Amino acid sequence: MSKKRKHAKRPQPGPATAGKPAAGKPAAGKPAADKPAADKPAADKPAADKPAAAPPETSPTHAAQPLPEARVTADKSPGARGKRDKPDKPGEPPPETHVPPPRPAKLPPPPAPVFWFGFEVPWAKLVAARVVLFGLLAIDAFLQISHAPRYGAGDFNVAHFSFLHSLGPGRASYEIGQLLETYLFALAALGVATRLIVPIAAALYAWLYFGSQLDSYQHHYLMALAVAIACFVPWQRPPDATPATPVRSWALRLILVQLGIMYLWAAISKLDPAWTSGQTLGGQLAGSLRSLVDATIGMKRVAVLVIGTEFALAATIWLRPAWRIAAPLGLAFHTGIVASGLEIGLFAYLMLGLYVLVLPDRWLVRLAEARALQPLRRALHRLGATTSWVLWGLALAAGLAIAELVRLEHAVLAALAVTAIPLGLAVRGRLAGGGPSGALGAAHLLALALWLVADRASAVAVDYYKFWAGSQRRLGDMKTAEQAYRRLVEVAPDLELGHYYLGRILVGGGRGEEGARHLHEAQRVAPGRARAWVEEARWLASQGQKAEAIEKARSAVSAEPGSRDARALLDSLLANQAAPASTAEDDDPL
Amino acid sequence: MSARRNTASRNASRNNSSLEWLLRLARSRPVTGLIRSWQGWVILAVVVSQLLIPIHYYTVRRDPHDERFAWRMFSPMRMAQCGVRATLDGAPLPIEREFHEAWIELARRGRFAVVEQMGARLCEKHSGKPVVFYLDCKYVGRPAETYGGFNMCNVPLI
Repeated sequence: MSKKRKHAKRPQPGPATAGKPAAGKPAAGKPAADKPAADKPAADKPAADKPAAAPPETSPTHAAQPLPEARVTADKSPGARGKRDKPDKPGEPPPETHVPPPRPAKLPPPPAPVFWFGFEVPWAKLVAARVVLFGLLAIDAFLQISHAPRYGAGDFNVAHFSFLHSLGPGRASYEIGQLLETYLFALAALGVATRLIVPIAAALYAWLYFGSQLDSYQHHYLMALAVAIACFVPWQRPPDATPATPVRSWALRLILVQLGIMYLWAAISKLDPAWTSGQTLGGQLAGSLRSLVDATIGMKRVAVLVIGTEFALAATIWLRPAWRIAAPLGLAFHTGIVASGLEIGLFAYLMLGLYVLVLPDRWLVRLAEARALQPLRRALHRLGATTSWVLWGLALAAGLAIAELVRLEHAVLAALAVTAIPLGLAVRGRLAGGGPSGALGAAHLLALALWLVADRASAVAVDYYKFWAGSQRRLGDMKTAEQAYRRLVEVAPDLELGHYYLGRILVGGGRGEEGARHLHEAQRVAPGRARAWVEEARWLASQGQKAEAIEKARSAVSAEPGSRDARALLDSLLANQAAPASTAEDDDPL
Repeated sequence: MSARRNTASRNASRNNSSLEWLLRLARSRPVTGLIRSWQGWVILAVVVSQLLIPIHYYTVRRDPHDERFAWRMFSPMRMAQCGVRATLDGAPLPIEREFHEAWIELARRGRFAVVEQMGARLCEKHSGKPVVFYLDCKYVGRPAETYGGFNMCNVPLI
């Protein structure tokens, strides 16, 4: 107990720490908790949702409250903790389980400059931003895995910075890295040990992004910066928090200022006749939005409107009183980008996710206080209150079983690696006198279940093997290509491409019988494509089985009458000539 | 002579006023408040770097196609399309046999750094033979340009 009390008394770093300002600030050397809490209002507060002053019993000093026995993590985010410390695992119940205090605590006056250190949002908004932002990042990370085969292909890499050229990720490390990112972001979304998880995720994200120019998406650069800044956000639950409890964070303000700077430069970059004429936008816009623009105000006006919108967002997104402009404008702008058909992955969704921060505070507080969500909140509290080594062990074992079902090459290896996180947190909790909570095991399981759901709901695994096999085949590494095609036909047995190329490689490598079986399979799953018949006919001709070859060539022409390859092969076989070289185009995109 | 002195005096005065403005900014309460804590230093580092790094693109970056870190999303330059050709010892070189398609796609967007690394790789692989890259780029709203055309084993930068 004394150990825990000592821990709870440890000074909290950070100017936004409600209970104590950081060193070097006006109140340095004197804990703010000792000062009158409500004698000076913060200059930048949630306007409409400003919480009332806390009753004395809900605002104990920081040192006065020991940590609970079952504490697993020691997250002490700057500015978030108020004057209390508290379990910070998701679902860890407050001492008075799920009976929220009547009014949220008011934070003490912030140090100057209050623009940064007095920035507050209600707890409900912080939770919403955490779930949406990290949830989207988790999904985005998983979807990036299909690009893994590019990394390290041909042993060539150009990093964003020259000192990283040889340190960039390869195919396997990129795949494992993104699996880890998916897991870490999922845990962060669920609020597990964010002071540990978010910095690890940020470092990994930076390595994966800056390690190779193969990823030059500016939105990944933006997210690398945002996640790095997010390391300083107090994402975990303040003690006795209600949805309206204010949480102070300079890092959230910095994320918004970062967005403002991005919009500013984006607008400046478009001050170019090639943009203002509508020519550039016209070359990129597609789909129904393109038709709508053409039929209404025209591309030129929209191009100018985009510049105006970006300047307006640059001026408003970081300024609370201007959020009533920034929120609808930004949401409409990024929704428009979603509708534009531009191939930018989840960028528009990630931007929409960041706009949770500029939504009116009262909306999110009301949403969190909705009756419909109360049972969920109670269930989470109960889960957090459950402590069991048996359940925790079962969760770890189930996690590995889930990973085994994921169709990616290194999923089990990555799952073994991430198991170290709940293991470490549980050991840490044990050393502090507690044990692993049900919430920790559940979060671990949910994060790994996300791998499985994302795998089965997307084409990531299929694309991974397809691109890996295709790139190795083009670069002349037939052994690796064969290995990748074998995995491809396992995960996508009804994909003609896998059987066709595997058949071709096997036939070309002198394993005709096995190759022919895959060519037959390709013919079965894609009866309208000639190339598998053509390939088989060539092989039969090379084996001296001319009659059978002619029969297969006829089947090829019949399957795809427009195939010049099939027609040329049939003609040459009928004319008793050597089979012509294939002109079939490579059709597996990278 | 007098006019020149006046101009010099005006320039000196302008420089002084800029310097004074910067000094005033550095001594202002918001900035001094920030530099008293490590959190403030983080804020300053992020804000200043994000305001300044994109200027690099408009001032000193030698590759106009390289818009990284400049927040130039959907810019006209992003529409540039470059034809990429390479020769080895005078003979056409099929670069798709040497490099992954994704790298070739970046080269088609005119990224000098990628083409230069490709050149360096080929020079190393085919020691002693001249490697020449040609980038024929077409732009929106500006005339086409051609880059390269020399032995990259001797001149490694485009």
